[in-house]
Amino acid sequence: DGVAVLPAPQNLSVQSTNMKHVLTWSPVTVPEEIVHYSVEYQGEYESLYTSHIWIPSIWCSPTQRPECDITEDITATVSYSLRVRATLGSLTSTWSTLKHRFNQNSTILTPPGMEITMDGFHLLIKLEDLGPHFEFFVSYWRREPGAKEHIKVVRPGVLPVYLETVEPGAAYCVKARTFVKAIGRHSAFSPTECVKVQGEALPL
Amino acid sequence: VPCVSGDLPKPTNVAFISINMKNILQWNPPEGLQGMEVSYTVQYFIYGQKKWLNKSECRNISRTYCDLSAETSDYEHQYYAKVKAMWGTNCSKWAETGRFYPFLETQIGPPEVALTTDEKSISIVLTAPKKWKKNPEESSISMQQIYSNLKYNVSIYNTKSNRTWSQCVTNHTLVFSWLEPGTLYCVLVESFVPGPPRLTHPSERQCVSTLEDQTTALEVK
Amino acid sequence: GLRRCLISMNLHRVEESFRGIKTAIQAKDTFQNVTILSPSETLHGIKPLDVCCVTKNLLAFYVDRVFKDHQELNPQIMRKISSLANSFLYMQKTLQQCQNLCHCRQEATNATRIIHDNYDQLEVRSAAVKSLGELDVFLAWIDKHHRGTSAAS
Repeated sequence: DGVAVLPAPQNLSVQSTNMKHVLTWSPVTVPEEIVHYSVEYQGEYESLYTSHIWIPSIWCSPTQRPECDITEDITATVSYSLRVRATLGSLTSTWSTLKHRFNQNSTILTPPGMEITMDGFHLLIKLEDLGPHFEFFVSYWRREPGAKEHIKVVRPGVLPVYLETVEPGAAYCVKARTFVKAIGRHSAFSPTECVKVQGEALPL
Repeated sequence: VPCVSGDLPKPTNVAFISINMKNILQWNPPEGLQGMEVSYTVQYFIYGQKKWLNKSECRNISRTYCDLSAETSDYEHQYYAKVKAMWGTNCSKWAETGRFYPFLETQIGPPEVALTTDEKSISIVLTAPKKWKKNPEESSISMQQIYSNLKYNVSIYNTKSNRTWSQCVTNHTLVFSWLEPGTLYCVLVESFVPGPPRLTHPSERQCVSTLEDQTTALEVK
Repeated sequence: GLRRCLISMNLHRVEESFRGIKTAIQAKDTFQNVTILSPSETLHGIKPLDVCCVTKNLLAFYVDRVFKDHQELNPQIMRKISSLANSFLYMQKTLQQCQNLCHCRQEATNATRIIHDNYDQLEVRSAAVKSLGELDVFLAWIDKHHRGTSAAS
């Protein structure tokens, strides 16, 4: 005896970190059956101007897993409405809609991973590539009283990026944070890393 | 003699190849006619204008490219081009490009790179790539004048430490100091304009050695 | 200096969305002999003082007319157009935050009217397709004129 009515997915929520957004929900289980789900979204534009239109998610219409990477669906800094329904053969549940609209400006921004190295007397930094949204603000200074803090805007690339030419015997410190122009927000700074330059300190 | 249109297959892969606003229309011979004595005729169209225009130097040509730089030199306009093949008394229908927008689609050539060294440093002087120009006598226009946000990605390879690192600059002169004496360094520079992705053209890799450490050289004497 | 009202946003995503529809949408535009934006009569002559007003007017033109008038069945193109429409909505909101800097002089109003008149000359679906196909011109203009200092200090 099949299932007369398919329950709608419950507990929809979005987890968003570093501009990667994942919609999750509680799975609908039917013994010995594989339930599929379809995800659709509506941006603020659709809600205002074409409210009858819902757009199928690029990756999850349909999907078998109770989650959906909606990163490529959320492409503007406006609020989005999201809904999910379950299907099993010809049976289709009603839509479940996310209680609160989602806006990418609520994403959690984590301090970037960074690697500080030297090539001779050249201070270099390699930064975690977090995607095209991200710029990096790198702050660096010579570890001595009253040292001036320098800031450099860096875009990640394949190669380490040159920061500064350093003096033998001195120590230099570096920290970095991300900036996402699309939402106008920074991450916190990464922990500071310091390196000691080989060689004898120069006479004053 | 008017040809019978449509009996021949059309030329394929018709597209503009554009570097520093030198805009070349290129295509492949029609399927099955490679190596045959096929000739081609090209026309172009300025989007928003009234009619297709002939390119006299590209009428009944046997080559598979046509330089339309002069005809498409106003880079803020948009263009179409089309080409048809002729073989004997038969000719193909026109094969047309998509809309071509030089301002957004031209590739940016590498800058000129001049290196000078001394014991522990390398000075790099960059000269911005030049926009295509019709006559050599014309004054040059730098691509920087067209793209004020033009930047350079300079990468430097230390052959002794086998390490490569990069720096993104907007100015045209930079000095890498405190290098290792008597060491071969190789430099490579790419121009780029933030915005829509464009194919990049790195400069020729240039290698130069820092001078030997003069202090040790004196002691040896 | 005069503090300008700038759209400080990463146009990268918007340009990417346009590139996703460019070939298909421009191929549907069969009237190559007319344009909607007519940049040499409208955008190219705009002075810095009028940039904000022209931007505001053209964002409204796209949001209130073009995106609404265009009907799309292809899901992939539908997604890209939704991305563009919602990004334009965001840009509108950004500009609304500096109303007092967004004065509309006659030059800006004239430029906007030319565009609306061009739009009205065509059948509405063709006009919408043509306007969508010319988005790269408008985006290039925004990128050029809204390049201020990075807001990230």
